[in-house]
Amino acid sequence: MSQADKMKQGQFTNPETPGYVGFANLPNQVHRKSVKKGFEFTLMVVGESGLGKSTLINSLFLTDLYPERVIPGAAEKIERTVQIEASTVEIEERGVKLRLTVVDTPGYGDAINSQDCFSTIISYIDDQFERYLHDESGLNRRHIVDNRVHCCFYFISPLGHGLKPLDVQFMKAIHNKVNVVPVIAKADTLTLRERERLKRRILDEIDEHGIKIYHLPDAESDEDEDFKEQTKILKASIPFAVVGSNQQIEAKGKKVRGRLYPWGVVEVENPEHNDFLKLRIMLITHMQDLQEVTQDLHYENFRSERLKRGGRLSSHGYILPLSPANGPEPEEMDKDMILQEKEAELRRMQEMITKMQAQMQKQGDGDGDGPNM
Amino acid sequence: MSDIVPPEVRPKPAVPAKPPNVGAPSPSSPFPPQGPGIGGGASALPPSAIPVPIGSHVASHAVGHNVGHGAGHVGGLAAAHNGGHGHAGAHRSGGGSTLLGYIGIDTIIEQMRKKTMKAGFDFNIMVVGNSGLGKSTLVNTLFKSQVSRRSAGWARDEKIPKTIEIKAVSHVLEEGGVKMKLTVVDTPGFGDQINNDNCWEPISKYINEQYEKFLKEEVNITRKKRIPDTRVHCCIYFITPTGHSLRSLDIEFMKRLSHSVNIIPVIAKSDTMTIEERLEFKQRVRKELEMGGIEVYPQKEFDEDMEDKSDNDKIREAMPFAVVGSDKEYQVNGKRVLGRKTAWGIVEVENPNHCEFAQLRDFLIRYNMWCVAKRTPLTQLLHHSYFKYNRVTEASSLQSNMSGHRGRAALRAVNRFGGLSEKPIFSVASLADGSARRGTFM
Repeated sequence: MSQADKMKQGQFTNPETPGYVGFANLPNQVHRKSVKKGFEFTLMVVGESGLGKSTLINSLFLTDLYPERVIPGAAEKIERTVQIEASTVEIEERGVKLRLTVVDTPGYGDAINSQDCFSTIISYIDDQFERYLHDESGLNRRHIVDNRVHCCFYFISPLGHGLKPLDVQFMKAIHNKVNVVPVIAKADTLTLRERERLKRRILDEIDEHGIKIYHLPDAESDEDEDFKEQTKILKASIPFAVVGSNQQIEAKGKKVRGRLYPWGVVEVENPEHNDFLKLRIMLITHMQDLQEVTQDLHYENFRSERLKRGGRLSSHGYILPLSPANGPEPEEMDKDMILQEKEAELRRMQEMITKMQAQMQKQGDGDGDGPNM
Repeated sequence: MSDIVPPEVRPKPAVPAKPPNVGAPSPSSPFPPQGPGIGGGASALPPSAIPVPIGSHVASHAVGHNVGHGAGHVGGLAAAHNGGHGHAGAHRSGGGSTLLGYIGIDTIIEQMRKKTMKAGFDFNIMVVGNSGLGKSTLVNTLFKSQVSRRSAGWARDEKIPKTIEIKAVSHVLEEGGVKMKLTVVDTPGFGDQINNDNCWEPISKYINEQYEKFLKEEVNITRKKRIPDTRVHCCIYFITPTGHSLRSLDIEFMKRLSHSVNIIPVIAKSDTMTIEERLEFKQRVRKELEMGGIEVYPQKEFDEDMEDKSDNDKIREAMPFAVVGSDKEYQVNGKRVLGRKTAWGIVEVENPNHCEFAQLRDFLIRYNMWCVAKRTPLTQLLHHSYFKYNRVTEASSLQSNMSGHRGRAALRAVNRFGGLSEKPIFSVASLADGSARRGTFM
């Protein structure tokens, strides 16, 4: 009786208690497996040259992603088109492995006529989705490499009075394909008031043009107060105004990462000077969420668009990709082709069926006990 | 300026005292007032300021020169103005012999000064650069008054215009009895569109139109005493402080316009860069300008002698100036200074350790304003001379001008650059696209 009483009291947290199944241990198993497997994250950085993108990435991940960099002069820039450069680095911290890919877009916004500068970038994003779709629909789905772009940092120049026409157009073109996080670069150009004014201006313009930037999810009600507070502060500081640097400067008796000016030292990790820490916290604590949104929202969007457009299913359920070089083909040709292929397949299947029937007839005649059809 | 010391008298064989070339009436006097001719008793000088064609520089610039010179010493010696003048005549007399007594020719300087003060002068400055680079603030800081178009009622957060506009705002500033009509020509919309092809064309057109207007007035048979001068005397081009190199748009613009207007490039909002970054960037910019064959003010062709060249070379080494502008004052070490207040310190605009605004101001205003205003760039000059020559040969009643100094000077200029041909060599359009190069006309 006493045991039953204990049971009724419902102390399931004690492993020795009878009635404890043990699936509360699942998260630990997942955790262990994930840690072993390692994480993948792809971050894209877009912005005009000279906005401190490379410095910021190096500062964020405390590494040097661009060791042999050659900055082209203006004369070379005139001829250049936008290129995509992806660098991957494996970072390990306390046993947790992160495979980080940073996709850089040199040449963006450099030309006098920037009309076409983002078609390359959009094709790249689409290509990664396409590849993932192909892998997912394939036979061997065990080792799908996820190269989809999980997050895009868009660098806004602090020198203007808000968003430039190019900024608006670009963000509108990719906000349905990738999580856009606007960042105000080189924020040490701005006084506090100018910074606030610029942030407000940018948020207004984002609203005005209907640009969908990445929104931090609200903290769950069961999280602790600190986390809730932190999330609130993060949300209020978008877009983040950052300063990057990997140089160590002596300031107030200690060594800090910063920039040394004749009139003072800007400390990168000082929350009163800029939002670098906030950006880093946001990226780290929401890496998982960024991946989820990419999978659940952007990828699904892409997939449904793509299938609607005319990816066709072969008899194995395999999605045969359209020739990527041609891009969107005219609808009529697609349908005709599909019809023809389907007819050809039907014919083949009919032939196979008649053959099998004939075989079975023969066997039936021969043995007397044909297989049941 | 009031202490005129007679030079020492030295006994010499009887040689007629030739006046030093300085005082001679020259085709273009160094101090052309915009108003009535110089009352020094010289022959009727043109009311407008026509810079002397390159050939005949030597003497006439001797006096005016030292004004330009003082500019070279950016450290700002006050003596440059006063002392330099008084003695210029004495030791620059190339070709003349020493005087037998004090004549008083050097009082012409005082007379010129009085006339200039009375007449005042026009200074037209154009600012070009992307929106948000601090153009208006810088101009306000330069002239310590609210002279930009922003102050004339346009809202600070105005939307970027879809096409480039040219907006000119004029103010009359007065200091020490000298009146200056300052016109600031702004170019909102430059470089801000997605497609910036040919965005320099409206600007080029405007500049050439002003020169045309001025020329037309000049060549009139009955012309006004004081021709309103709307020519753009200098164009301040704002370079974005990327820290890497110039942008393609910067190079294209400067290539095309450096021959029709004096361009002074400045690095805007330079408090973005640390001192090392700034030095590197400046070096890079200078190299790129050189590689692109772009000549900014002060152009090498205006270097008249070694002294000039060395002074100007010093300036060229320091350019482009890295500036910061501000119209707010803060208290620093007990003084009120113009600056920008940040969480990590106050950037002082006029502190040479912080930025080069003071250098720019000295260079532009205190020593070179006159030079900038009067040294017309080559193509405009050429066009001008040829234009006049053409006009002059058309109107037979003006034939007599050809024998005068100005006619000869005009001929010299044209001959130097390829000679004459039957039909006009230049048209405004061909100059506008910057295709004119020295010695390769026709």
